[in-house]
Amino acid sequence: MNRILLSLASVLLVGGLVVAAFGQRPWLARADVVQPIPFSHRVHAGDNHIPCQYCHEYARRSRTAGVPPVQRCVGCHGTSGLLSGALSPVTQPWTDKSQPPFEIRWNRVYTLPDFVRFTHKPHIHAGVACQTCHGPVETMDRIVPVHEINMGFCINCHTQRGVTKDCIVCHH
Amino acid sequence: MPDGPDGFSRRSFIKLAATAAAAASVPACEPASRKLIPYVIPDNDVIPGEPSFYATTCMECPAHCGIVARVREGRVIKLEGNPLDPVSRGAICARGQAALQGVYNPDRLRHPMRREADGALHEITWDEALDTFNDKLRAAAGNGAKRVAIISSDLGPALRTILIFGWASPWRLQVPSIFYEPLDEAAAYQAAFDCFGRIDLPNYRIDRAEFLISFGADFLETWRSPVELTRQYAAFRAPRVRSAAMTVGHAVYVGPRMSLTAARCDEWLAPPLGTEANLAMGILHEVAAQGWVRPESKVDVNALKTFAAAYDPGSVEKQTGVSAAIVRRLAQQFAQANGAIAMAGTDDYETHLATSILNAATGNLGRTVTFYERNTPASRSSTKGIEATLESMRKGEIDVVLVTGSNPAYMMAPALRFNEAIAKVPFVVWFGTVPDETAEHAHLLLPIHHPLESWSEAPTRAGARKLVQPVMQPVFDSRAFGDILLSSGHAGGAPANERTAATSAVLEDMWLSSYEEEVRASRPKPAGAPNAKPAPMSPVEAAEIKRNFAGFWEQARREGGTFGEPQVADVSLKPDVLKTPPKLAAPPVTELSLFCYPHIFLYDGRGADKPWLSEIPEPVTQLVWDTWAEVHPDTARRLGLAQDAIVELKTPQGAIEAPVLISDHVRRDVIAVPLGLGHTALGRYAKGRGANPFSVLEFGRRTSSVIAHPTGKSRRLVSPLSKSDQMGRAIVEAISLDDIVNGVAPKREAMPPEPYEMYDDIPYPKHQWGMTIDLNSCTGCSACVAACYAENNLPFVGKEMIDRGRIMSWIRIERYVPTSPDAPQLYIAPMLCQQCHHAPCEPVCPVFAAYHTEEGLNGQVYNRCVGTRYCENNCPYKVRRFNWFKPEWPEPLNLQLNPDITTRGAGVMEKCNFCFQRIRYAEINAADEGRPVRDGEIVPACAQACPANAITFGDINDANGAMMRRRADNRPRDYLALEDLNTRPAITYLRDIYRRRGKA
Repeated sequence: MNRILLSLASVLLVGGLVVAAFGQRPWLARADVVQPIPFSHRVHAGDNHIPCQYCHEYARRSRTAGVPPVQRCVGCHGTSGLLSGALSPVTQPWTDKSQPPFEIRWNRVYTLPDFVRFTHKPHIHAGVACQTCHGPVETMDRIVPVHEINMGFCINCHTQRGVTKDCIVCHH
Repeated sequence: MPDGPDGFSRRSFIKLAATAAAAASVPACEPASRKLIPYVIPDNDVIPGEPSFYATTCMECPAHCGIVARVREGRVIKLEGNPLDPVSRGAICARGQAALQGVYNPDRLRHPMRREADGALHEITWDEALDTFNDKLRAAAGNGAKRVAIISSDLGPALRTILIFGWASPWRLQVPSIFYEPLDEAAAYQAAFDCFGRIDLPNYRIDRAEFLISFGADFLETWRSPVELTRQYAAFRAPRVRSAAMTVGHAVYVGPRMSLTAARCDEWLAPPLGTEANLAMGILHEVAAQGWVRPESKVDVNALKTFAAAYDPGSVEKQTGVSAAIVRRLAQQFAQANGAIAMAGTDDYETHLATSILNAATGNLGRTVTFYERNTPASRSSTKGIEATLESMRKGEIDVVLVTGSNPAYMMAPALRFNEAIAKVPFVVWFGTVPDETAEHAHLLLPIHHPLESWSEAPTRAGARKLVQPVMQPVFDSRAFGDILLSSGHAGGAPANERTAATSAVLEDMWLSSYEEEVRASRPKPAGAPNAKPAPMSPVEAAEIKRNFAGFWEQARREGGTFGEPQVADVSLKPDVLKTPPKLAAPPVTELSLFCYPHIFLYDGRGADKPWLSEIPEPVTQLVWDTWAEVHPDTARRLGLAQDAIVELKTPQGAIEAPVLISDHVRRDVIAVPLGLGHTALGRYAKGRGANPFSVLEFGRRTSSVIAHPTGKSRRLVSPLSKSDQMGRAIVEAISLDDIVNGVAPKREAMPPEPYEMYDDIPYPKHQWGMTIDLNSCTGCSACVAACYAENNLPFVGKEMIDRGRIMSWIRIERYVPTSPDAPQLYIAPMLCQQCHHAPCEPVCPVFAAYHTEEGLNGQVYNRCVGTRYCENNCPYKVRRFNWFKPEWPEPLNLQLNPDITTRGAGVMEKCNFCFQRIRYAEINAADEGRPVRDGEIVPACAQACPANAITFGDINDANGAMMRRRADNRPRDYLALEDLNTRPAITYLRDIYRRRGKA
């Protein structure tokens, strides 16, 4: 009886932990995120070779990389007439001024867990390519995470590069 | 285990199964923000994730320090001193720090409100509110020009101009006004006028003096300009060669209670309340009698002798109880010092008069005590003016009253019968942030911008002009006071154009016209006619001035104003003042006197709505969140009062009740009570705590005769400090001046025979962060504590939790009462994590949450911490704090939180980490620029705020850095707190220097 109970409990416990470990890590990058407009990184960064930091301009200056302001989108699409039909909800307010500019509410793909402080700036200055963490973005129509950004991922890279592995650097 | 052969019971199974089920069923929680919303049009000044800094001026007290606001993503998260400002010089006090909790106060008025006939307040729109306001003004203006009055504190030049020209004159109103500060120094103004013919107050240069005597002026706490005077006092106290001998400035405090200022002075004299002037006159008598009047002062010695004739040291001894020998010594020290200052903070005229004459006669006027040319005096109403306006209110001659920046219902003495006066006014408009006692009388409540959200100009002294600028968008649906007046002025008939529509435009135009005037005045005058008017300007010239002004204005906004050197005015004592010797009353016959003083943080009560200011212990008493009555032990015994017993204090004006604090730091015949609490409004943090001493005082006085009765009730006074005695342990140390001069090495208690090492030493190849704290400079003002609360997201916990030892401050002011007379009056030191090299907290952590970082810090990894609190138990400095609860910041106080660090949750241990976010910020910048971190580049919040510059931060590996040099330059004052424990702290303290007392 006890043996059955023990094995049943173990199965339940292990099963529970597995579900807990894989099913509910809300901080993980998400593969299922669909954006409000069908923006393609492949077209922009891949086909047209627009540098990442043309749009994510704060990456070298701040802790966050920054999402481009709508003005940046319109800067190209408003004047070049590229895709003006499909993009008219975004660009039209800028030309006819009769309605307030469109605010794009992107869905977040990458999230850091609590208790972690990450800063883009030193990584960019150290010459780490964006793709190191974010994968071959220039080939993706829709962003899907390639790497699981967890502590092991960070520490691996820091070990290889021989840079700080002090806990407090990220955990403060 | 009793259950079976394999030790697995049914009970264990259920436990395990329940755990597993619970683990599986925890819903996948969605993080708060899953959306990324970019700017539509980016703000060029904002880099998300990086702070912006805006210079403005602190409006928390009449000193008006220049400050710099640190703004992240459009909200202000920290205030620091503006290094360009000669008043603050980059430092800021606790009250200034707490201005943040004024902007984000959850009890701020959020919408305009109107009081309906039933007395209830109803929310209305701004249009309705302004229409109501203007209708009432129109009706009042129709009844006469003097039917609208204003009650306010000093508005400053810009708002004053708007009030008069932009609002009152279009409405054809003359506006009887009450410009008033409850702790206004009427006596000081009167003395400055009588002695020197000045309508402003003198400025002090303590750093240029060697001797200082303060008659009740708490210049390290609240008096005049505490940040500036604290900085000067630190220079005054610095040991250096003065008059050919190594010494520190000598300071004497005269007052009935040992304030923090008194504790930091060499001597504390406590003559009977009201006889401070006798002592000052006694000193004056000796100065005259001994021929110490400086000839260059042009003071008539014989007139002075007659003036002070009645105050020979013998008589003064009888009147004050201060021995004649001390009076003679003080006079000699004062007269013979190379620079001396007498200052008065009492509420009687005679002390101010005597100190003014003393400063003048000893040749200190113009050196350590100066008046400035072209100084704009504060706008303040005379007592008569206040009484007259209140009288016309009572008579029903006023139809509308505007109240702003002032809380007369709380602060005005009952004798003025303010409540009666305001009740007679049919329409009261209150402009403010947190509704206070006066707002309860108002019919229309208009939420105005906090000074951190609005434009104006701070009242300031000659040489400087200080801008108050918005550092962020308003938190609530409020409007600027100036803008409301301007829009109302338009309704009253002022021509509307864009230059008169907003306070900012009016302000800019005011600066432009004074700029033009200055340029015009500086143009060369025609030869031979120095008084001739300069030639009128050509249009080309005028256009050029406008162009140049654009650059000037840009710079002024960037720097927070213009900071020129004021010109010292040539002032001398008016001979007439010596003609009538003061008639000083005999020592008071009352058995007991009440002495009220401004609380170092709450000041006159305006700080009570900011929880940090109640949470930080008052440095001398170490009490929090309450009003106390400080009673001498002998008096307490006589009256039958125990600690915490509530005593009723009855004066001719009224009665208050407060719990008793039994303390040696007050005269036997005096009961000392701090101002600041006893609010019946002013939001959740102020309302219903403590007692309001203003309600038992005469107007303009801070003392009264009093009768004290025990009430039989009691209320616990709470202090986070467990002991006032160091129990012989070396926590806060001091060294006598004699020992410094004679090179006597300080005695250490109970040192281990030799430092021992059990393990290999930890190397610090890059940096080892450390701190040097000079206890001789530290005044205990607690600016560092408030700065830490702001920078590190420390929660406030309230009185009950502090009583249970749950205060969260990472840095605190330790206060110990010496047990031997050969010591400073109080031992005071900031205590924070010592970042020990052999840290007792680290090895006891079972989960490695407390660990040693590569740069010598005792790191605390919050997400590893499981809350065993072993580390806290093992810490000999008691600087670790445990989160017993999830900290709460009611909206929108949470907007102040620093986004650069983790906000800790329940069950987690936390502690000082030398503001690691600032260390990291500097390290990243340095690495990105390919250079090492510069010395002085990293400044933790506590060091940044310190007005006395007592804290220096730096790298222990850098022997030439300022921090290590400060240690080396001050041997043998350096010591380690509790060195005998062999913890090897990274913080080195420099011993406080005291003068041996007891010598005449």
